[in-house]
Amino acid sequence: MIELILIIFTSFFLGLFYSFLIRKFSARLQWRIGPLVFMYKDLRSIMGITRIIQPLYDIIKLFGKKTIIPESSRKRLFIYSPYISLIFAFISIFFIPFSGISLLSNVPYSLVIVSYLLIGSLLFMIIGPIASGSPWAFIGVRREAELFLVTEFGFIISLFSMAISKNSLILWEISISEFNLVNITAGLLMFTSILGKLHIKPFDMSEAEAEIVAGPYTEYSGKLLGIYYLTKIFLIYDFIALFISIFIPINTLPIYLSIPLFLIISILIIFILSIIHVLNPRYRIKNALIWYIKIISILCLINIITMVM
Amino acid sequence: MSLLKKSRIYSPWLYHLHCGGCNGCDIEILAALSPRFDVERFGIQLVASPRHADILLITGPMPKQILPMAKRVYEQVPDPKVVVAIGSCACGGGIFYDPENYAILGTPDSLMPIDVYIPGCPPKPEAIINGIVQGILKLSKKS
Ligand code: SF4
Repeated sequence: MIELILIIFTSFFLGLFYSFLIRKFSARLQWRIGPLVFMYKDLRSIMGITRIIQPLYDIIKLFGKKTIIPESSRKRLFIYSPYISLIFAFISIFFIPFSGISLLSNVPYSLVIVSYLLIGSLLFMIIGPIASGSPWAFIGVRREAELFLVTEFGFIISLFSMAISKNSLILWEISISEFNLVNITAGLLMFTSILGKLHIKPFDMSEAEAEIVAGPYTEYSGKLLGIYYLTKIFLIYDFIALFISIFIPINTLPIYLSIPLFLIISILIIFILSIIHVLNPRYRIKNALIWYIKIISILCLINIITMVM
Repeated sequence: MSLLKKSRIYSPWLYHLHCGGCNGCDIEILAALSPRFDVERFGIQLVASPRHADILLITGPMPKQILPMAKRVYEQVPDPKVVVAIGSCACGGGIFYDPENYAILGTPDSLMPIDVYIPGCPPKPEAIINGIVQGILKLSKKS
């Protein structure tokens, strides 16, 4: 029970830390400084001491702003979708093992539960903007939906190829099973789909600023936008924790080893994501789809061959 | 200071509205956001939709044709908000101003309340950052 309460805070602060790190690493790679870890001494009285929790300040500020609900929107769907999306993302943290602690991941069919929860959260991130009735949101949502379909394909195949090769639908059993070749091939497949799901640079066409305003979130403001940001914080944690727990066998280690290892590996993953984010321009949606279909079909083929072997 | 007020100071998001003008000021705004000055150190970000913004940056001498759009963008920024007029044009018409000119309004302060004026043609990025900081301080005082 105590673990379940602790994981709420852990996942929240890790999610905040990861989104800070993506901003910081991208800034450093672009020859900027990015949000400061230590504020300049003479500015501390006005500007605070550190900006490690910059994403949290953004969210709190958004909560304190007026929420505008457009006349042309379908109001109920527009208002409730962010909350439902947040609930899905929030519940899934309990079903994903955290570095050697099983939480609820040893209930039967936990793999299926997690995949449904994550799909649900992403789905309501699409449905809310559709209800906003803005043309920019429609264009963004169309791109998002197309991207969602191709990334989901790779995501599900990689999850269930792990399930087949480890002969279990329980996330905890998969995460403590032996490391083999399928871990690598399915891991690669999962990594490519995470790129699309977290809108890392070549695949951020759905939020393309300067092209379609702010994409799906054009009409969202104030509290509702804050809820979407909160959802994203939990989703970053979800995907990274899921990736590590399934494909990297650290859950069998004792806790004092597995927690530092979890942190190191997750920071490494964030670093790789940031490099990809900075180095790439934005794809058009057509190019992204073709890229995904090519890569996913090749990776799936390799995946199946390794599974049969 | 309450956490909410602190967060308002720590994460101001800008929306940049170009109303006529020669584009000089807009280039300087981008310079203020570039790696050399890097305002993201203090959490300042340029956002794409006025609905996400806290601070509205206005440049240019306000041709009368753009008035309805400018007013609409101003109304789309959720409260609390601050408007910063950048450049001589937005402060009073600048080189475009002529009392007999039928096409130019000059400063937009009859249209919306302006909190900070930054003169200069174009103002330097340092001046723009200073103006934005004044705007942030005003923002933290609004409820
Ligand atoms: S103030 Fe000067 S630089 Fe700025 S828009 Fe007007 S004419 Fe151009």
